[in-house]
Amino acid sequence: MKSAIFSAFALFFGLYAVALVTLQSDSPEDNVVLRWATDPNPARDRQVAAFTNANPGISVTTESGDPTKLLVQCATGVGPDLVDLSEPLFETMVRAGLLLDLTEPAKKYGFSPDKTFAAVRPTLQVDGRQFRFPCNVNAQAVIFNKAVFDDHQLPYPQQDWTWDDFVEVGRAIRETPSKSGRKHIPLVNWNSSFLFADLLMAHGGRYFSEDGLVCLLDSQEAVAAFEHYHDLMFKHRVMPTPEQSAAMSGQGGWNSGGINWFASGEAAMIMIGRWFSVQAPRFPQLQGQLAAVPLPRFPDQGSRGFIHARGLGVNAKTKHPEAALKFLSYLASPEYGELIIRDGDALPPSAAMAPDGAALSNEQLPDAVFHQTFVDAAANARPIDTSPFIDSAQVQRWIAEFLERLENRVASPSELARQLTTEINRAIARNIERDSRLRQRAEALRGENKAKEAGL
Amino acid sequence: MSDPMLSSRFLPRFLLLCALGFALSAPFFWMVSASFKPRAEVEKPHIVPLEPTLLNYPVVLDWLPDPVTDEFLGVRFGRWYFNSILVALGITLFQVVTSAMAAYAFARIAWPGRDRVFLLYLGTMMIPGVVTMIPNFQLMVSFGFVDTYHGLIIPAAFSAFGTFLLRQFMLSIPSSLDEAAKIDGAGHWRIFWDVIMPLARPGLIALCILTFLGAYQSFFWPLVMLQDEQLFTMPVGMLRLDSSYGRQTELIMAATVMNIMPLIIIFVIFQKFLVKGLQLGGVKG
Repeated sequence: MKSAIFSAFALFFGLYAVALVTLQSDSPEDNVVLRWATDPNPARDRQVAAFTNANPGISVTTESGDPTKLLVQCATGVGPDLVDLSEPLFETMVRAGLLLDLTEPAKKYGFSPDKTFAAVRPTLQVDGRQFRFPCNVNAQAVIFNKAVFDDHQLPYPQQDWTWDDFVEVGRAIRETPSKSGRKHIPLVNWNSSFLFADLLMAHGGRYFSEDGLVCLLDSQEAVAAFEHYHDLMFKHRVMPTPEQSAAMSGQGGWNSGGINWFASGEAAMIMIGRWFSVQAPRFPQLQGQLAAVPLPRFPDQGSRGFIHARGLGVNAKTKHPEAALKFLSYLASPEYGELIIRDGDALPPSAAMAPDGAALSNEQLPDAVFHQTFVDAAANARPIDTSPFIDSAQVQRWIAEFLERLENRVASPSELARQLTTEINRAIARNIERDSRLRQRAEALRGENKAKEAGL
Repeated sequence: MSDPMLSSRFLPRFLLLCALGFALSAPFFWMVSASFKPRAEVEKPHIVPLEPTLLNYPVVLDWLPDPVTDEFLGVRFGRWYFNSILVALGITLFQVVTSAMAAYAFARIAWPGRDRVFLLYLGTMMIPGVVTMIPNFQLMVSFGFVDTYHGLIIPAAFSAFGTFLLRQFMLSIPSSLDEAAKIDGAGHWRIFWDVIMPLARPGLIALCILTFLGAYQSFFWPLVMLQDEQLFTMPVGMLRLDSSYGRQTELIMAATVMNIMPLIIIFVIFQKFLVKGLQLGGVKG
């Protein structure tokens, strides 16, 4: 027994020594190494390479941007220097004091909010202070697969289409026999929260009142958006229900295979950003088959959806603030913008580089009209509004949860909208009651509102 | 004479067990099947690939470029495999030795407050790991263990469950053996190594298997602790194949099949001890 245990330890220490000896240093020892928490993507390697070539002495390593990992690491002072942040996580991290205030450095290094799209500027700031700058900017449109329409011998969607036209097109895809004999999904839902956000914007709804004190998801417009979402599945049947998705999908999960379904030619349309074209090289059958049209509109209204940015913040405890600020400055540069344009990774952060579709044409999708659709979408879009009185990540979690209930027909859309709004408003009231800072702020806002009402 | 296999009592049970067995093994078969599908087929619901391919395996191992993009994935699969085995082996060895020593103290040595301390020790099993995540991580930061192999091994080297499991086993060994050894002049160290440990072999093997399986599959602690891709274990490394820009399902499945191979081999060889270990955990001490 003793000899077996000691032999096993000897084997372990031998392997351990081999493991240590074979570790390689990826960057020169005297380099400043910036850690960038982002998603694993071949485009990141090219972006990093361009930066390090222009900035000898600084290396950049990429790692997983898992939110829990970020919170644990940043809270204990060993987080990555640069952090990719979606809007909800961004606010959570700012309020926890984990991100560097970039307001002054941004002016010096040339990445202040005025360098990017007007619509996303508010999403870079919290309480008027800048805490991040976009890596890319995204507004959604409808990308369709021409091959599917050709297979069903149907005309392509038109640039100026309405929601009624959209339903007609979806029904035609579902009901018209195809030449190949294959059936196709009219529209895939790859992200419930994004689809709902687009519908809410289309109906002219808001998440919160201007002052953030009241959730407005039970407003007439918001209820219409919930009903619209419901009807796409159950009334018009142009989007799969959860049961249909589970039955069709190899992966078995609702939404999980949405992008892959579209990419593998199973679906006719997807509501998504220009970044989908990053995927295009992975699916040769899509070559020359992709086209885009704006999100459908209501009669007498323009097409409108939501806009958001994958923004980069700096860890407040970074040991290399200068190098990190240089990296943010690089995001606003033409060199970085060119890479985003070439790879098709949404819209470049610098609005000046995306004046029209022709400026965004690239090798895999040379059609300027395709890219113009996303330029127009960004111009007409609005960011998701947030409230300073409630954590945005929590709100988005609740919305996703209620959309799941809607998909499973647990209650009617109006009932679910009412329940969701009640839950959010209760949480706002609770937060205001518990936090004296929030209480002061809420009282000030209520005072201002009363003064406005009184016409003072 | 009627076939007992077809008796009215046996057949429904047999069919029920077949249905349960199918339900439990279907995801596994789906995983293996998806690992042999080309990308164009992987989202389709048929189980048997229409055009089966072995290419997903060498692509994951970075021996061949991805046939669709013609680019190498650039993942260090071999290294992650090695790391997973190294870390799981280290955790298993340290945990078994420390648990055996603690179990000996709780089972074979009479000392004041022993049972209360044991209860307190067991109580730590009730605290969810997520609750202690930040304090544990803070400790690792203070010790400079972040992004190291020992940062993965040392925190897992002590286990209340392992202590409990081996204590139960050691309690079943007759105390007359210790007494005989004492009469022959043996101290605790000698009794532990030369009397108890050989007799506790089935329990030790069961703990080894359970610990190895748990450590090999561990995801969250390595995810939080590791930054350098060279130190990644398999579960963390496989995240590289799933990004917001696309999920390469067929490659993830090929990687998963290779990942679980050691576990299946261990399970098949040692399943007798594993069952014994599970039974031990359920015996009242």
